[in-house]
Amino acid sequence: MNELIYGVAVWLDDTMYSALLHESYYMYNWVESTHVLTLMVSLGMLFLIDLRLLGYAFPDVPASKIADRLFVPMIIGFVIMFITGILLFYAVPVRSAQSLWFRIKMVLLIACAVNAFILHRRMSESVSSWDRDSRAPSRIRVGAWLSLGFWSVVVICGRFIAYDWLDCIRDQPALIDFMAGCIDGQTRY
Amino acid sequence: MSNSILGPYTRTILTLGFIILVFGFSFTNFRSDMYVVIFPFFEWMETTWFGIIGKTWGAAFAFVQTIHLLGLALLGGSVLAAEGRILGLLMVDVPAKTIVNRCHTLLSWSLIITVLTGVFMACGVALKIYYLPVFWYKMLALVSGVMFHFLVRRPLLEHDLETINPIILRMTAISSILVWFLVAATGRWIGFSG
Repeated sequence: MNELIYGVAVWLDDTMYSALLHESYYMYNWVESTHVLTLMVSLGMLFLIDLRLLGYAFPDVPASKIADRLFVPMIIGFVIMFITGILLFYAVPVRSAQSLWFRIKMVLLIACAVNAFILHRRMSESVSSWDRDSRAPSRIRVGAWLSLGFWSVVVICGRFIAYDWLDCIRDQPALIDFMAGCIDGQTRY
Repeated sequence: MSNSILGPYTRTILTLGFIILVFGFSFTNFRSDMYVVIFPFFEWMETTWFGIIGKTWGAAFAFVQTIHLLGLALLGGSVLAAEGRILGLLMVDVPAKTIVNRCHTLLSWSLIITVLTGVFMACGVALKIYYLPVFWYKMLALVSGVMFHFLVRRPLLEHDLETINPIILRMTAISSILVWFLVAATGRWIGFSG
């Protein structure tokens, strides 16, 4: 599996636009800045919804209104983050694919999506009975805490990708090498 | 406020005066003199505990950067929610006053988080940012943003929103979004400079 991922990453790395994007000072930095600054839209809205469920924000506004009205801007933010994230991966495919932080981030993004789906379903089933309460019931609050926790760790991992502490080019313990997908004798980093 | 010599616009005029003063300061020799005078302060910042931790323990620096980003996300969310409501784009069926007041609390907390973590980060790279023009642009944007928010926008929105000219309200909301995004964008660009 790691060989396959490495092979695909090398193939992407060989494409002209990957090199152009990576070598363009302004283009790469604009894409990265957009990726980071869109946090203010996507995670900003998500935090407001989660904090409402936990009772820390807008306690006098029905929870369903906050969740419904902020959903669209939040999704727009996530779409932009997703597109710019793909471009960032495409610009540096081999190093990204073999970054332990990137891999943890991808797993956590799946966890975030599953948690959001469950939270949304639980809310839809029961919101009419607690919509105007300042805090949601405990099982909804657990979902909101998980959402805040998962996304915070996603941001931590995203930030840590920039550092080369656990890169394959360094000597690492075998477990780290395995989890990062380092290949014996690889020539591209 | 109406007892003031400048009437209800006292704080607005004082803030604008301060911003004009800062811009004036930027184009005089006094600025270059001050730039030299504050250099020891930046040297001292790197010798503080924050500076030592930030410089020697990269993981701590990166972790604090993350908290800074999370604070920024909350700040952005509260600004966009409040200004989106004023502009009639978001949560139009919720009273604007409610959204604006609740978002003000969130923005204040997020500002505390970002400033505290920002000070920590600045200590770790004090001598680097001292020489970066974009750092000073960010500081200018931050001070403008804080002054605009607490001395212009907040007092204005404490009035009954129905009584305020809609154009003034919209201009305030758009200015608020622009100034906070400028703070965030210049902050991000610090990472690409130097």
